[in-house]
Amino acid sequence: MTATDTPPLHTDAVPPAPAAAPRRRRLSERRAKILAFAVLTAPMLIGLGIFRYVAIGWSFLLSFSEARRTIALGDWVGLDNYQQLLSDERFRGSLTMIVLFTALIVPLTFAASLGLAVLVNRVRRGRAFFRTAFLLPAAVSYVAAAMIWKMSLFSGVPSGLANTLGALFGADPTPWIQTQSPPLYWIVLVTLRLWLQVGLYMILFIAGLQSIPRHLYEAAELDGAGPWRTFRSITFPMLRNTSVAILLLMLIAALQAFDEFYTIFSTGASLGSEPVRTPLMHLYGVALQDQDYGVGSAGAFLLTLLIVLVTLLQGRILGFARDKD
Amino acid sequence: MTARSALSRRGFLGTSMLFVAGSVVACSSDPQGTAAANGADVTLTQWYHQYGEEGTQAAVKRYAAEFTEAHPGIAINVVWGADVSQYETKLNAALLGDDAPDIFELGDFRAEMARKGQLEPLDDVYGAAKSGFNKADLDYLTVDGKLYAIKTMDDIMVLYYRKSLLKKAGVTPPSTFAELTDAAKKLTSDGTKGLFIGNDGIGDSPYLLAWSEGVDLIDGDKVVYADAARSIGGLRDLHADKSVLLGFTTDWYDPGAFNQGAAAMQWCGLWALPAVEKELGDDFGVLPWPAYDKKGRAVARLGGWSQAIHARSKHVAEAKKYLEWLWVKQTDLQIDWAVKYGFHVPAQTEVAAKTPEFGKGAAKEAARISTEHGKSFPAEWTQAMQAGFIAAAAAVAKGAAPARTLDKAQAKAQADLDKQTV
Repeated sequence: MTATDTPPLHTDAVPPAPAAAPRRRRLSERRAKILAFAVLTAPMLIGLGIFRYVAIGWSFLLSFSEARRTIALGDWVGLDNYQQLLSDERFRGSLTMIVLFTALIVPLTFAASLGLAVLVNRVRRGRAFFRTAFLLPAAVSYVAAAMIWKMSLFSGVPSGLANTLGALFGADPTPWIQTQSPPLYWIVLVTLRLWLQVGLYMILFIAGLQSIPRHLYEAAELDGAGPWRTFRSITFPMLRNTSVAILLLMLIAALQAFDEFYTIFSTGASLGSEPVRTPLMHLYGVALQDQDYGVGSAGAFLLTLLIVLVTLLQGRILGFARDKD
Repeated sequence: MTARSALSRRGFLGTSMLFVAGSVVACSSDPQGTAAANGADVTLTQWYHQYGEEGTQAAVKRYAAEFTEAHPGIAINVVWGADVSQYETKLNAALLGDDAPDIFELGDFRAEMARKGQLEPLDDVYGAAKSGFNKADLDYLTVDGKLYAIKTMDDIMVLYYRKSLLKKAGVTPPSTFAELTDAAKKLTSDGTKGLFIGNDGIGDSPYLLAWSEGVDLIDGDKVVYADAARSIGGLRDLHADKSVLLGFTTDWYDPGAFNQGAAAMQWCGLWALPAVEKELGDDFGVLPWPAYDKKGRAVARLGGWSQAIHARSKHVAEAKKYLEWLWVKQTDLQIDWAVKYGFHVPAQTEVAAKTPEFGKGAAKEAARISTEHGKSFPAEWTQAMQAGFIAAAAAVAKGAAPARTLDKAQAKAQADLDKQTV
């Protein structure tokens, strides 16, 4: 049998043409989908690339070069900028301060927003009202809120709200922000941050609470579990993933603190007399006021490193996006 | 059904494209492109920070229009910018790019800008008129023998005191630091504190204390402020008897605390004088910061704004022509600018002498303080040096050992200064 003997098998059960057509159509459909995807996401991706990743990369290179009043690269100095920052007592102090601040404010915000979420979720009537009422402060800008805290609630004059309340109990007018022993300014900073943030995290917790199946609570009730037991054994474990995600957001927000510290301690000139400063306040002065972009970039990466480390540590301990088992 | 959804998809795509195109056009066109460039060959962009006083924006636009009338080839595009706290940051960012202004204002003059080639030397703009300018200003704006900016107004800061309250407490206007501390203590009574220097209780006082002891911040290429450990140590005494007002609703640059009687003496700027006069009539006087002791000298901080030309501007010659026309020659406009909106001293001594507002009373005294006691920050002074210095002084006020604390901050500032001058 030779090849020439056998005619091509035109008599196949499935004719080739109709078989190829759907495949081609399927292919071109796929190509069209890819094209559409590319067209629709390209502006976003290109923007993200240029304004985020190129900028981050550039800043990384800047952190290894001497760049005062310029963002040109070329004057390489190795790790000098990092070394200069880390040997700066004021910057090291700000790093210590921010870690302590985070360790204090995150559990507080967490407990307050979770507690509020559980309470609001239990309310039978007017739940939407309470939800909105507690969320509203999240819409206020940090700077505006800090001005209110500084100038009307906690101002040092006798007519400030805190001092008016104090006077009812016979206390002398106190300069809240300026008193350093005891450090009363922490009351101002912590209440402000709680007021601004608790509402938003409360909403996230409520969303988590509402996804817990009702039958678990019914079963617990049948078994005679009280409210505290129900919270400890059902609510809290079922909120695990929500909690881990919220903790992460809180940690990052706390480590990046700037606005309210800056507004409350600013004096109309450059800073200097503030009792505590955050790393971003330090870097704002170095990079944007003194125009030392090299050291400023180095500081930005040190802070990023700190955030990454804390996040990894948190993931290690609590497990981020781990399965529920 | 299919046709309709396809159409709407295409419609959606078309709309998105229009949106993207629109944004591109919107971003690429100059948002401030309102220059009256009709027929002008050259349009200069000039940046101002946002003055709080009413009428200032219209005034600078009027000056620009008058210049264009006299020089038809040159138009000025006035860009009214950010407020004081943001202005320098925005200016610095703009100077790094291609869209930098040709002419701009500077609050704190930075020698580093001149050394890094960002500023055009302006000696030829001053010309023969140079000797008529406030000497303290010329020193301040000179870097390595060349003038790099021109002062458009002098803001002198002085100590306001309430005559009637001092009389009631039986104190005379203080002429030494010891007298100031003592006066503050005696003036403190229920609801009134003796002295207001800033909500943080520090304000400008560390500078004033050092200067009043006869110590400079920077001497040549050395930072020397630690020599003022004795006078800055005085901050602790000042705070010891709680006679300093802290945490008022407005800060030291606003006369609120003084006008409302929350403080009997306040360190504030000349800009507040009209408001104080309106509120208190002639029941107030102004003083320089007293000499630290008999061997020291009275001082006052001299601030204000200057204008400079970007060295990379394509129209340096035209920009110089404009600055010379406005800030050297047009004395009427300089007086208008100094006293018709806010209250500032014109930078040319002769012009200041001609200004009727400075002919009598506290204003006349303030103008005298400006020329005799005025002192500006060194042009090498940076935010980092300021923050380090103020932080050290604040620590001293709380009880840290003055010499050791200041020495440490000074070493850090020295490293900063060395970096600038290489």
